[in-house]
Amino acid sequence: MIKEFIQGLSITAKHLLPGNSTTVEYPKVKLEASERFRGLHRLVPAHNREKCVACYLCPTVCPAKCITVEAGEDENGVKYPTVYQIDMLRCIFCGYCVEACPVEAIEMTGEYELANYKREDFCFTKERLLK
Amino acid sequence: MPEMLSLSNDPILFVTVMLAKILAVFIVVILIVAYATYAERKIIGRMQTRLGPTMTGPLGLLQPIADGLKLFFKEDIIPAQASKFAFVLAPMMILVPAFITIAVVPFGGNVVVGGYTVPLQIADLNVGILYILAMAGLGVYGIVLAGWASNNKYSLLGGVRSAAQMISYELAAGLSIISVFMLSETLSLRGIVEAQAGGITDWYIFSQPLAFCLFVITSLAEVNRTPFDLPEAETELVSGFCTEYSSMKYALFFMAEYANMVVISAVTATLFLGGPAGPFPGAINLLLKIFFFMFVFIWIRATFPRVKYNQLMYMGWKIFLPLALLNIVITGAVVVF
Amino acid sequence: MAKKDIMTINMGPQHPSTHGVLQLILELDGETVVKATPHIGFLHRGVEKLSENRSYHRALPLTDRLDYLAPMSNNLGYVLAVEKLLGITDLIPERAKVVRVMMAELTRIKSHLVWLATHALDIGAMTVFLYCFREREAIMDMYEKLSGARMTSNYFRVGGLSLDLPEGFEKDVRSFIDAMPGHIETYEGLLTGNKIWQKRTIGVAKIDADAAIDIGLTGPALRASGVDWDLRRDNPYSGYEEYEFQVVTRQNGDTFDRYKARLDEMRESCKIIRQALDKLQPGPILADAPAVCLPPKEKVVNSIEGLIHQFKIITEGFKPEPGEIYQGVEAPKGELGYYLVSDGSANPYRMKIRPPSFVNLQALPQMVEGALLADVIAAIGTLDIVLGEIDR
Repeated sequence: MIKEFIQGLSITAKHLLPGNSTTVEYPKVKLEASERFRGLHRLVPAHNREKCVACYLCPTVCPAKCITVEAGEDENGVKYPTVYQIDMLRCIFCGYCVEACPVEAIEMTGEYELANYKREDFCFTKERLLK
Repeated sequence: MPEMLSLSNDPILFVTVMLAKILAVFIVVILIVAYATYAERKIIGRMQTRLGPTMTGPLGLLQPIADGLKLFFKEDIIPAQASKFAFVLAPMMILVPAFITIAVVPFGGNVVVGGYTVPLQIADLNVGILYILAMAGLGVYGIVLAGWASNNKYSLLGGVRSAAQMISYELAAGLSIISVFMLSETLSLRGIVEAQAGGITDWYIFSQPLAFCLFVITSLAEVNRTPFDLPEAETELVSGFCTEYSSMKYALFFMAEYANMVVISAVTATLFLGGPAGPFPGAINLLLKIFFFMFVFIWIRATFPRVKYNQLMYMGWKIFLPLALLNIVITGAVVVF
Repeated sequence: MAKKDIMTINMGPQHPSTHGVLQLILELDGETVVKATPHIGFLHRGVEKLSENRSYHRALPLTDRLDYLAPMSNNLGYVLAVEKLLGITDLIPERAKVVRVMMAELTRIKSHLVWLATHALDIGAMTVFLYCFREREAIMDMYEKLSGARMTSNYFRVGGLSLDLPEGFEKDVRSFIDAMPGHIETYEGLLTGNKIWQKRTIGVAKIDADAAIDIGLTGPALRASGVDWDLRRDNPYSGYEEYEFQVVTRQNGDTFDRYKARLDEMRESCKIIRQALDKLQPGPILADAPAVCLPPKEKVVNSIEGLIHQFKIITEGFKPEPGEIYQGVEAPKGELGYYLVSDGSANPYRMKIRPPSFVNLQALPQMVEGALLADVIAAIGTLDIVLGEIDR
């Protein structure tokens, strides 16, 4: 009995030695997200505007129905999204939109600090997603 | 040696010296209590591969002060159905005995002040040990009262647990000390310290190892520390008796827990480790011994699971009590023959 | 006293050790439990109903959120069920199968780590909690590397996997399983031999084999009662028949035996993962089933056929023949079953989930009757319930 007690105490004492800490002091030190991390979305820009061709695959596949797209045509007759909006409060970060996109126009970044003060701030419009 | 300073030979000097001693001890105890919380968080944090507080001040050293301030400014909530008077009284009832117990613990030899001898001890009661046991017993009223007055079933269970726990462990603790003053032939703590003054081999830990172990374990139970922290058992009773407490009242409970730890460490050091005796000047030895026990208490908390209520009772009545009695018999036999 | 005074106490849904939002109505005589009545449903999100209104592909992320401590096991059960419904089980490429097994076993370790952590914390050993979470964090990092999410992985796909293993992943897994047995030793060092831990767990919340079978217990809770039943061996899926492992059984059916059984299961999982790593060969990760699987991305971007293919699957989904199937997998907590009914449309007509925690929870009232309040905590912990799965 005593032996096991001492064994337990020695395990905790061993961890008391410096160099055992696994804490990352978060706001000061930030963990690097992995390459595949599914964080905040980003619309990929091409030339003077977004790559997106407003094909509606992403709102179709989205399980949370958080993507709003409205298609329009520019002066050359090329389709583009007049509205592209993601509601981050509904988004479940499943990555289906990225998987579905046929032109690789949307990707997910390593950005994970998505807290905000106002409801409206969670609606990411095209301009914000292009940043 | 000059005459002992007393109220009759120099009242003004006596009161001044007394107040100075009380203030000094009080401040030291408060500081230890405050930084015991810090040390506990740091040590347990390190043991659990965490860091503990780091943000408040250098190395997080201001954390206890920040915590205190935060609790001080929090809203003080008294549940509508609570028994108000008892609810307010309970935290005081638990804190005061915790602090006044330290009065009988000697923290050094004698010094000469203004031509009189002054003992480094607030009060040298000739029933010092009884006083300690009495105060420890008084502390439990605070917990029971808090549990009952909160009008919360979890708190009530905590209070009841603590009452039962205290009775069973008080007995074993008291009986284990008996063998100590059988050897020292005095109940005064000063007398006990003097009886151990002959060097490290005279410390009662060597002549009374069983009593020492019993006293330390039962003390753990008396101050509600893991593995005997049943009255507050946060995973079972959701903090037990202090569930409904908030703000400064909660802080008082918190302080009382640590003050109890300090006191129990000081008492153990006095009874078994020669009190202020040691290589350094008086009070420092005592402090080192206190810190040692506090560290052990924290260490145990980081390592062990919590026992169950019925097991605690079983241990108290069927293991510790007979062992303490046996120890008295053996000590008696050795003393007589 | 003529009449016994019974105190009714509401334990949960806000209670630190009811593992989420379980509510127990406890009737106490002093500290002895006379009766315990679990109330569930506080975390109901209607997963089964929701999935009736979305295609098979889009129902997959919902399964992540059942047992959120073991998302890959849930994914696995679901994709296997859909594959069975589609009749493409034999088309799954070897690499996908091996990765599925590897990740399912890593998930088992991950789930058991959380179980041990919280169970030990409930009983008062708080250091084990953080040690376990340290190792769990390593698994989560691997999850993140592989699938992009730390908890809701959504990694498996009907027909295979969504992505191939990233570079260096195998090395990570190997170094993890090399270190893991040592970590398990550390937990055991703190708990197994400790007299207090033994006193708290041996003989507590006991359930014998017959009662366990009657209730329908599965997983480690069943095996600790001496019933040798493991779907991985007795009804293999995803190629489990090719792996060598021990099905851990214990005899007493008490909290201590369930504790030992799960720890040993973690060790066995390490062995399975090692075998899976050795088996891993380069190869395709998606089945050759063009009606079900999305085409590779480069094909979509570069060819019009690929583009049309992509559009067709995403907008129309795939339509299994009308019929019904049941697929059970050995999830960390027990048998996780998916019962799917297809009416020939792209959405499941009915998806019924058999969550292991839900069934296992039924043992609780019987386990804690006559026990002390502290044993209730131990019993909840030892059943390893997750409310996300119970309430669905």
